[in-house]
Amino acid sequence: MAILEMKHISKAFSGVYANEDIDLAVEKGEIHALLGENGAGKTTLMNILFGIYTADTGEIYWKDKKVRFVSPKDAIDQGIGMVHQHFSLVQKMTVLQNIILGLKQDGIFISKMEARARIVELADKYGLKVRPDARIRDLSVGEQQRVEILKALYRDVDLLILDEPTGVLTPKETQDFFGVLRKLKNEGYAIIIITHRMSEIMEISDRVTILRDGKKIKELVTAETNPKELSMYMIGRELKGDFEIKEQPDNGVALELKEICIKKGEKALLDHISLTVKKGEILGIAGVDGNGQTELAEVISGIRKSTSGTIHFLGEDIDRLNVKQRFEKGISYISDDRHADGLVIDMSLKDNMLLKNYDKEPFSKKGVFNKKPIEEQARQAIEKFQIKTTGTTGMESITKLLSGGNQQKIIIAREVNDEAKLVIANQPTRGLDIGATEFVRQTLMDVRNSDRSVLLISADLEEILALSDRIAVMFGGSIAGILERKDANVQKIGLLMGGVTKEDM
Amino acid sequence: MTDKKEKVIQGLVIALITIAVGTVLIMMSNANPAEAYANFFKGIFGNLNGFCEVFVKATPLIFTGLGCAVAFRTGFFNIGAEGQFYVGALTASMVALNIQGAAGIVLALAAGFLAGGVWALIAAVFKAKLGISEIIVTIMLNYIAINLVGIAVRTFLMDPAGSVPQSAKFDSSVWLPQLLPPTRLHAGFILALVSVAVVWFLLEKTTVGYEIKVVGFNKRAAACNGISVMKNIVISAFLSGGLAGMAGVVEVLAIQKKLLEGISSNCGYTAVLIALMAGNHPVGVIVASVAMAAMQVGANTMQRQLGVPSAIVDILIGLVVLLILAKGLIRRKKVKNA
Repeated sequence: MAILEMKHISKAFSGVYANEDIDLAVEKGEIHALLGENGAGKTTLMNILFGIYTADTGEIYWKDKKVRFVSPKDAIDQGIGMVHQHFSLVQKMTVLQNIILGLKQDGIFISKMEARARIVELADKYGLKVRPDARIRDLSVGEQQRVEILKALYRDVDLLILDEPTGVLTPKETQDFFGVLRKLKNEGYAIIIITHRMSEIMEISDRVTILRDGKKIKELVTAETNPKELSMYMIGRELKGDFEIKEQPDNGVALELKEICIKKGEKALLDHISLTVKKGEILGIAGVDGNGQTELAEVISGIRKSTSGTIHFLGEDIDRLNVKQRFEKGISYISDDRHADGLVIDMSLKDNMLLKNYDKEPFSKKGVFNKKPIEEQARQAIEKFQIKTTGTTGMESITKLLSGGNQQKIIIAREVNDEAKLVIANQPTRGLDIGATEFVRQTLMDVRNSDRSVLLISADLEEILALSDRIAVMFGGSIAGILERKDANVQKIGLLMGGVTKEDM
Repeated sequence: MTDKKEKVIQGLVIALITIAVGTVLIMMSNANPAEAYANFFKGIFGNLNGFCEVFVKATPLIFTGLGCAVAFRTGFFNIGAEGQFYVGALTASMVALNIQGAAGIVLALAAGFLAGGVWALIAAVFKAKLGISEIIVTIMLNYIAINLVGIAVRTFLMDPAGSVPQSAKFDSSVWLPQLLPPTRLHAGFILALVSVAVVWFLLEKTTVGYEIKVVGFNKRAAACNGISVMKNIVISAFLSGGLAGMAGVVEVLAIQKKLLEGISSNCGYTAVLIALMAGNHPVGVIVASVAMAAMQVGANTMQRQLGVPSAIVDILIGLVVLLILAKGLIRRKKVKNA
């Protein structure tokens, strides 16, 4: 008997469907996995259920009654709890204070004694070890997650939604966490777990609903499926490679990473990464967002420092060089976050083109700017990359007023110049329309074909397969495997992305 | 509607509201508004002395306002122009009491700039190394600086011939020259204009200004493109404090000709408003400072002639600042209605 039924749910954002006619049914005592790539619509669907968004069309039945939650509070009151990917705990308060935060109270004072007794009881029952008087900021991520779950259980929920719950956990913490989930399931709780990790789905879930491009693709009983089938449904179509790829002779190594680590507390953001990028090669980095790709890009471009390991570029040790010095050596970076990292959106196109060379001749001499070469640089960028500026302002257009594609072109015009010998492209086509996407891909291909190197990080497997000479898959901060183009296919990459190692395949 | 048109209309609306409120306040103090306004403008434009007084009063405001504008550009909220003014005045006095002639003037200016700069730098270091808000630190440093001057004029800098807490009068060779005697207009005003020009050039035409701008707009992008955020906060803090220190130097060398307490007329705090009204633009700082000074001069005349409290002007200045801040609100509402 389903405790929750969502029927024909649709939700569009400015004309684009994030969810289209999606059905989802969850039973009591069931762990139901929601599987899909980034942007497949998982989080939107859960936000609709939790009252953060309202569906355009469709119905939600909760305990056999038609409902429409207008706020998370509404959903919680009716017995639905959600633990978000980014926790919503007050860092300075204690576990106890966080758990009872915002609850209705009888009289003026909440009985802390009673609350504490109940928390301890719940914690013991489900193995959620926490210290009620510890402050949140002193807890590990795993402990904070337990607090979030306790917070939901304390509110007497019947359904628990967990958005990417294991992304922040170490393998050991993940195992403990699954133990908790099994206990909850046996007590009759319904659980929805959003994830993209095949192994975890196979281990913990009873059923799986797979979403792709905002639509429900398939619902499967976990025991009757396998990771291969799952990744096939998740990624869908066999992908085509569109590019004429010219054979490259082996020109030697451009970039070499040896045993690079970045540690953050206990957790390794990058875990002993060793890889090489050859001259005239595009090395694709596949993986689900947040598995260390951005850290990898930043450690090579010099934005982040590694905790250990060495980086050689064109035979030279560049560990000690900063961003600017590495750029001068020919390392360019197209960031995945244009607005935060790559551009100063309140400045003009012209000034953004200057970001990396403002202190070089001829743009400035002894610290004083030269107008002509600066304007010439902007003019050439607009012409060569066909950047559409706003109205009559031309190169003085304020960057934030330009479209995403044109903003990306500014970055590419700046970073992919003649001196660039290695272009690190992190999600370079995300959010761009087809035309701009084509342009960006062609630009990267041109870099490769002129015997220079590209490190292409993308969550879009189609893009990775179309462009890369070799494909490295990242999982949990390390390289799960590196595939030659001829050996690579969606299934293999999908398995590696889900944490299945190459040896197990 | 074009942006320019909109700005003009906004300015007119703000002016009208201010005049209306001013009229009500004048009537509340039992004066004839027409007569009061006449005196207000007579005070400013009635004679050369009054007119020049506007620029005399604007001079320290330009220095401190410019200082705040530079700091605000990198997001360093220097609320300590007052304290930087006083350490500037203090060090300049120490130089002026000991060294005579042009060398004394030059050294006093240099020492005042340096002292003000270092005073602001303390807050920058606290922010960089300990993550302590520069707002708190600069305010605390204000108290320290103000009371340092209080101690100095009662002890080691006290005029041995007198019994009031002030220093001896400086030798006339270190006074800043007057431009239009008998008015009080002095070379410090020219110095203020030159400072504006230099700062404008620095911010708009040099790589130093470019880095400051990038850091002010987007610290993350600065770091990602190899521009040091800390270095630029330190530079802008030092420059900001130095400029405020210059205000103190000019005040003692040109107006007071000795060191005593309470000489800032709170220009260090008014500076925050000046920078705000000027949108952190150097040229805007001149306009805002002169306007602010003119209002004060006019209000003083109004008070002398009619007994209308000059505090009315302070109320109106507060109102103008609030209206400027509320501009965005008006615009947003319009968009909604459209």
